[in-house]
Amino acid sequence: MKIKICGLFDPANIAAVVTEQPDLVGFIFYPKSKRYVGTNFDPKGIANLPKSTQKVGVFVNEDRDHIISIQTQFAFDYIQLHGEETPEDCAFLKAKGMRIIKAFGVDDGFDFSQLSDYLPYCDYFLFDTATPNYGGSGQSFPWEILNDYPFDTPLILSGGLGVVEVKTFLNSPIPKVEILDCNSKLEKENHHKNLDLVAEVLALTRKTNSGIQPDAAGYYGEFGGAFVPEMLYPNVKELQDQYLFHLHDPEFQREFQDLLKSYVGRPTPLFFSKNLSAHFGGKIYLKREDLNHTGAHKINNAIGQVLLAKRLQKKRIIAETGAGQHGVATATACALLGMECTIYMGEIDIQRQQPNVERMRLMGAKIVPATSGSRTLKDATNEAIRAWINNPVDTYYVIGSAVGPHPYPDMVARFQSVISEEIQVQLKQETGQAAPDYLIACLGGGSNAIGAFYHFIGNPKTQLIAVEAGGLGVDSGKTAATIALGKKGIIHGSKTFLIQTDDGQIVEPHSISAGLDYPGIGPVHAHLSATGLAKVVSVTDEEAVAAALQLARLDGILPALESAHALAYLPKMQLQPDEIVVVNLSGRGDKDLATLIPFLAHEK
Amino acid sequence: MKNRLQTLMEKGSKPLLSIYYTAGFPTLDATIPLAEFLEQQGVDSLEIGFPFSDPLADGPLIQASSSQAIENGMTLSVLFEQLKNLRDRVTIPVVLMGYLNPVLQMGEIAFLEACAQVGVDGVLLPDLPLDYFEKNLKIHYERLGIAPIFLITPETAEARIREIDRLSEGFMYQVASNSITGSEASLTAQTAYFERIAAMQLRNPCLIGFGIHNRETFELATTYSRGAIVGSAFIKQLQAQEGDWEKLVPFLNQFRNKELIL
Repeated sequence: MKIKICGLFDPANIAAVVTEQPDLVGFIFYPKSKRYVGTNFDPKGIANLPKSTQKVGVFVNEDRDHIISIQTQFAFDYIQLHGEETPEDCAFLKAKGMRIIKAFGVDDGFDFSQLSDYLPYCDYFLFDTATPNYGGSGQSFPWEILNDYPFDTPLILSGGLGVVEVKTFLNSPIPKVEILDCNSKLEKENHHKNLDLVAEVLALTRKTNSGIQPDAAGYYGEFGGAFVPEMLYPNVKELQDQYLFHLHDPEFQREFQDLLKSYVGRPTPLFFSKNLSAHFGGKIYLKREDLNHTGAHKINNAIGQVLLAKRLQKKRIIAETGAGQHGVATATACALLGMECTIYMGEIDIQRQQPNVERMRLMGAKIVPATSGSRTLKDATNEAIRAWINNPVDTYYVIGSAVGPHPYPDMVARFQSVISEEIQVQLKQETGQAAPDYLIACLGGGSNAIGAFYHFIGNPKTQLIAVEAGGLGVDSGKTAATIALGKKGIIHGSKTFLIQTDDGQIVEPHSISAGLDYPGIGPVHAHLSATGLAKVVSVTDEEAVAAALQLARLDGILPALESAHALAYLPKMQLQPDEIVVVNLSGRGDKDLATLIPFLAHEK
Repeated sequence: MKNRLQTLMEKGSKPLLSIYYTAGFPTLDATIPLAEFLEQQGVDSLEIGFPFSDPLADGPLIQASSSQAIENGMTLSVLFEQLKNLRDRVTIPVVLMGYLNPVLQMGEIAFLEACAQVGVDGVLLPDLPLDYFEKNLKIHYERLGIAPIFLITPETAEARIREIDRLSEGFMYQVASNSITGSEASLTAQTAYFERIAAMQLRNPCLIGFGIHNRETFELATTYSRGAIVGSAFIKQLQAQEGDWEKLVPFLNQFRNKELIL
């Protein structure tokens, strides 16, 4: 969820509010408003505000040419039309290259069909309390009517939103609402925004239902940051400065969402498993990420990052891969979007995941073996980073997990958050409630887990459970259970938990699933675990294999061994009949046949 | 008070030769004898690397030396034990180099205090962020008289170079090209970059490193800087000579011949 702070006009107040990093700020160019910016408002002051906060110019029944002249000076990210502007007005301004927010006053009998003529020209619709003075009432309207909104254009909710109202909204959010627009309720005097109230509202959206976001330096609590050598600093800084700008751009979102739908095959089904439910009690749903194109959730992020790389005008893509799922997803996205692609993969993983190696080659990617260290995922990541150091200007590094220096963990989380967004909607349709009692995901670096958790983080209704790879057992010395064993340190550019010696050397992990075979963990998961927002458990190789075979037999679904770790926690739960469980089935198991087949022989 | 490193930088104008090697390589106990030997050969200062399992900015040669050193049993506590007598035996400046994670496990302040105690003059941690340094560690470097050393690269923006210059003491480590360590390319394409940095009139002198592997690259680099650092190329020689360090003399002399030419 994003916050727009509207009605700013005083330069000192603007500067102070922006340091709190709201997602958007609005400036009112309506002379009758109490918060009118006036005739001497300075475009330079606006131009110097950070790019990560988007700027909105607000107009009421204004002359088109005047809007064009203001926009020429101020270059706002959005133009908000808050009067009785027609679809033709919107079309005209849209044709001039502006992005349009069209506002509507809502009362009890609001007829959504009147929006249809506006659909082609508007990037957002804003709903405000209907008043004769075009908003500004400080009153809320009954938001529930927005549950009936029938279109895909995202919404901004406005009208009397302060700390209390934002809190109330976040407790039961409305699917299409992406931005909450706050104005008078964040003021104490002179129509100036009160910084404490601004900070309080922003903290609410950063912590609760809308997922979790790091601070400006990329920290989730004490974890995260960007610990990179100077050779990588300019690349990482460029990404830090630019990623939100592009991710917030409706054009980018449209392209991304279109590909997720028509190419990846989203939304993926939420499958009610009668058989698992009968076996374990409760109502068990499987989020079928295995049905994505390329067979796992990794493609969500790969498409997003390769699109971003194109916008940053990079020429080459590099990526690391363990089991090959992220490598295949990246090679796929590169083939689709016409980018040169090189995948770094540990020499040992190349041997044990041969089919995925060939899939990547078939899609035109070049595979470079990582021959250093243990020659697995950690070393492939090292080699990819070294390749980035050697080619800093034209190369974009697509990280596949929620790890790495800021902004990678946040970026990966945002691209994967489509999983929890869909779960909310689908579960509500199925059961009438949007939040499950338990949400279970496997945890390696943490991309599928953060994607499945994202919109449920901080929701007291849902217990989030992350399942680590216990390998041969947490105490066996052959494990990848990072939270169980790890100590705080730095790996691949971020501060997190990692498995290491007392002297700070990173220890080789072990897991039967190559995708969980990583000695660190995404910093967001270190934070969720340290703060108790998620519960972290582990299961062994053996338990994971048993769970994979069980799902194959019970439901005819062969899960990836990574995802089988999440399923393997079900037997350890004591479920009540009406408790709802969602298991994120992050990928399919075809790639694991060679590992699984020997277990069939054991059964005889 | 000036430490050995700052004094060296201000002394004369002869191009400085600095040698990098990995502590505990090729054998665990080589650290101090190698330092003594290099001082005898006229090397001006030393960068001693403490090994890390995942050295992101290092090429294959230094990676391999780090793995070997770890296998030999090198840890920070072993290293500080070895360095206890450093100043009885070695007078040239010593900079410790390595990645942040081992330092975090020892404790950053304990690490810096140990450095001061054994007579280490500067510390370079490539993955230590500038703002983190300034907020948490600067005061301790100052208190203990240890020079904080940072990297600059061809892609570092001018404003950031100035910021790094402000926070550095002793020298700045100027990375010669967009590369991990151990490149064997010619550096002639880098002269515009070398000139640009030289023209900035920075507060600190620069030593150029990464890819300095022979007399030609050393001379080119030192035309534009106070000195140069030889790392991977030295490690390669060290490995090849299998303990007979006298055989390293011709390799080291090629850098010193510049004096004769001048």
